[in-house]
Amino acid sequence: MKTRVILFLLLAAVGVSTAWLLLRDGDTDAPTARILRDGVLLEEIDLDQVDEPRSLVLEDESGSNTVTVEKGRICILEADCPDQICVNQGWISDSTVPIVCLPHKLMIEIVSGGGALDGGAG
Amino acid sequence: MAGPVKGAGRITRLALLTAIALTIFLAEAQIPALTAVPGVKLGLANIVTVYAMFALGPGDALLVLSGRVFLGAVFSGQPMTLIYSAAGGFLSWCVLCLLRKLLTEKQIWLASPVAAIFHNIGQLLAAAAVLHSWSVLAWLPYLVIAAVLAGLFTGVAAQALLKRLERIQK
Repeated sequence: MKTRVILFLLLAAVGVSTAWLLLRDGDTDAPTARILRDGVLLEEIDLDQVDEPRSLVLEDESGSNTVTVEKGRICILEADCPDQICVNQGWISDSTVPIVCLPHKLMIEIVSGGGALDGGAG
Repeated sequence: MAGPVKGAGRITRLALLTAIALTIFLAEAQIPALTAVPGVKLGLANIVTVYAMFALGPGDALLVLSGRVFLGAVFSGQPMTLIYSAAGGFLSWCVLCLLRKLLTEKQIWLASPVAAIFHNIGQLLAAAAVLHSWSVLAWLPYLVIAAVLAGLFTGVAAQALLKRLERIQK
């Protein structure tokens, strides 16, 4: 009995998560990339306005990340952190998930329509 | 289950479990990431945590868990991971304490996926706190699905382990 209840709850959690993943669609109109460190906005790039691919190096005492932008998308090309999670994630072009480099407290998120969405939590 | 072992016997057993958990943890850390989703892994070291919780009790499980989390961060050379592991580990420990009261000996395999979900929630909350942003919660659905699959696997493993070790201890 208890087994069934827990199994049902687990199944429900997986079902809700799957539905969430399938139903949400990343917003792609007027994508603006916001690069934040420690919750503080470092750069804001309108990805539709990027004509030439370019890179910027973001450094602080914790290390450095090389961010590359192209028209409509952004990625972290290189990082000197040990886990390389942010590099492995590759390009993002919509608001589905942010790129996060936890060791350097760096986050890149894409918002559409010129920053209508505020991800800041204080 | 395991009888009350005190003194040197208890310390030896805790040290052994911590060493086993740490070895599993570090060996698993050598496996390249399965997906691009950060935080998705099997979490094999949690077999030891679940075993300790059900066979030895909450106090001993917390000792083994915190020992493994701390030493794991030291040996893997990533001090920042300590915050996430500790947050996830503590939250899943709380849930395991609760499940220990609810579940019978034959249902232990169910405890692991529930604990794994809360482990990932704890890690995400820690990440949200470090980054000062709730945006990371976008990873939650991936992490819940991964936690259930990995948790079922480690849960079944912990159940099998408990059954076999019980025979040794008699």
